[in-house]
Amino acid sequence: MDSNFGAELLKTRKRWLPYGLFAIAALGALIITVPAGYLEWRNSREFDPVSGSTAFRTFVFPYSLAALMDSGQYWGSMLAGILAGSVVATEYRWGTVRQALIRGQPRAQYLALKIGAIGITGSLMLLAALAVGVALSFYTTGLAGEPVTLDVPGGPTWPEVALMVLRSAWCIVPYVMLAVMLAVVSRSSMVAVTGIIVFIFGEAVLVAVFDTFGGLGGVLRDASIADNVKTLVAANRIGFGDHNSMAPRAQLNPFDAADPNWAALILGLHTLAYAAVSFVVFQRRDVTG
Amino acid sequence: MLAQMATSPAGPVIRTSGLSKRFGRRTALADLDLEVGRGRVFGFLGPNGAGKTTAIAMMLGLLAPSAGHVELLGLDTRVHLHRALRRVGAIVENPAFYPHLTARDNLRIWGALSGGTTASRIDEMLELVGLRQRAKDKPRNYSLGMKQRLGLAAALIHDPELLILDEPTNGLDPAGMHEFRELFRRMAREGKTVFVSSHLLGEVQQMCDEVAIVKQGRLIARGEVEDLLRRREALLVRTTDPVRTREVLAGLDWVRSVSPAEDDAITVEAPAARAADISRALAEAGIWISELRAEESTLEEFFLEVTGEEGVGG
Repeated sequence: MDSNFGAELLKTRKRWLPYGLFAIAALGALIITVPAGYLEWRNSREFDPVSGSTAFRTFVFPYSLAALMDSGQYWGSMLAGILAGSVVATEYRWGTVRQALIRGQPRAQYLALKIGAIGITGSLMLLAALAVGVALSFYTTGLAGEPVTLDVPGGPTWPEVALMVLRSAWCIVPYVMLAVMLAVVSRSSMVAVTGIIVFIFGEAVLVAVFDTFGGLGGVLRDASIADNVKTLVAANRIGFGDHNSMAPRAQLNPFDAADPNWAALILGLHTLAYAAVSFVVFQRRDVTG
Repeated sequence: MLAQMATSPAGPVIRTSGLSKRFGRRTALADLDLEVGRGRVFGFLGPNGAGKTTAIAMMLGLLAPSAGHVELLGLDTRVHLHRALRRVGAIVENPAFYPHLTARDNLRIWGALSGGTTASRIDEMLELVGLRQRAKDKPRNYSLGMKQRLGLAAALIHDPELLILDEPTNGLDPAGMHEFRELFRRMAREGKTVFVSSHLLGEVQQMCDEVAIVKQGRLIARGEVEDLLRRREALLVRTTDPVRTREVLAGLDWVRSVSPAEDDAITVEAPAARAADISRALAEAGIWISELRAEESTLEEFFLEVTGEEGVGG
């Protein structure tokens, strides 16, 4: 290993945290696909066709992709945010940020490599959990006597599946960068991790409050991460009809949602803003302790 | 331009000019002017809170100076900080490691961040600091002394020209201190420079060629260790009649002071070369000497004298 990035990856991949978070994400994928999907469908299909249909779209491939990515985006943002906040802030606690900088590594490079390593580790963690969910979906689709195929009404092509994954990832990035910013500014794992959790839970409440005010409240709602995430998640839906979800937010019909490109741009601006604050603060601040 | 940036072998390896740091209203360091030459082991001393770690942190770019600047290896760190630091090995405050990684993996990381390293270089460093057998252990299971050893290995992994070490012998056993001392002396003989802050004054006295002492953020003394120790020359005299001895010696015009020492002995501040004159003067007064020897001055005495401290801090 002779590169700074290799060193950064080694540090991150040898922590237990990504594996612990992967286990939680994989458990979430299992819950969505089996109890909230297949078992719910078996129990409700005869006496409650609406619930049965919703459950069907939760576990049967390819509808399950939208369901997995919906819940995966919400909880994945939290898990990736916890990873990011912890990875950045613990370097202060251990004093290793000092040791890295006194070796001549420019501060901007240090932070950029760390964000890169978090990005790769977090992506692998969430993609692996998605793979677990997809594998379970294949299995339960077979149990339900349905074919495993993308060829359903409104079904995506494989490139569109890739786009769905990218949309979900893009919805996670602002939260990760916000967690990085909290870690850099506070230099505390507890503040960064607690901050991102509180933000994700509290944001939905705030957006609802903004909604009631109209005017400036509406502008703030439209500029919020959560509202634009909802738009991009809606773009991932396959055909009509809801799925069961572990994300506490309304499921928008794609036709009722705002322009997904505009939403992606606003999320990108959020990411840029948090990154800018992180880099400026890290570049200028005295590193002590 | 390149010629200006190149390091002159004869020029100072560390130069600070008017280096100052204020935290709010508190001045942690004021106008520190320091030059450290190549191939020297330089001790940086001072009581607790004197500004030693602040000065080191500014040298290494961790703290931004409120005023003044630092040159390392002939490079102005305001412009060439990262280039300079590539040639520096350092421990600041305490050695820091990734607690979830083994000692070997920690060295792999520090080596990579220092421009790359090899497995054989890592083995060499582990061998040097006596941790080869514990290379697969995680540093969180190490004693403080072992952490210091690993910290030194990390600082040396890229074969730096300049070592800047903050309290490197903390927690080391006597054998470890001896090894570090010998290593630093050897590095100095090889033309490398070691800048070390420490509160273990006995160690510094044995290890360093030169020292600087700071107090309350200001440089209050500096010089060659030998010269500083020579400033206070004294003889210890033990006789059959301590009271009269003091009277006789106080009457000699070349004796600077006479003071009681332990067990009825007397400390006479006078050049060591005057030992024969003391012997003669006392004999003429009918006083018989049972012991007469040069009293060895220590760096600790000098430190306490110039800092006015009762104890020594880190």
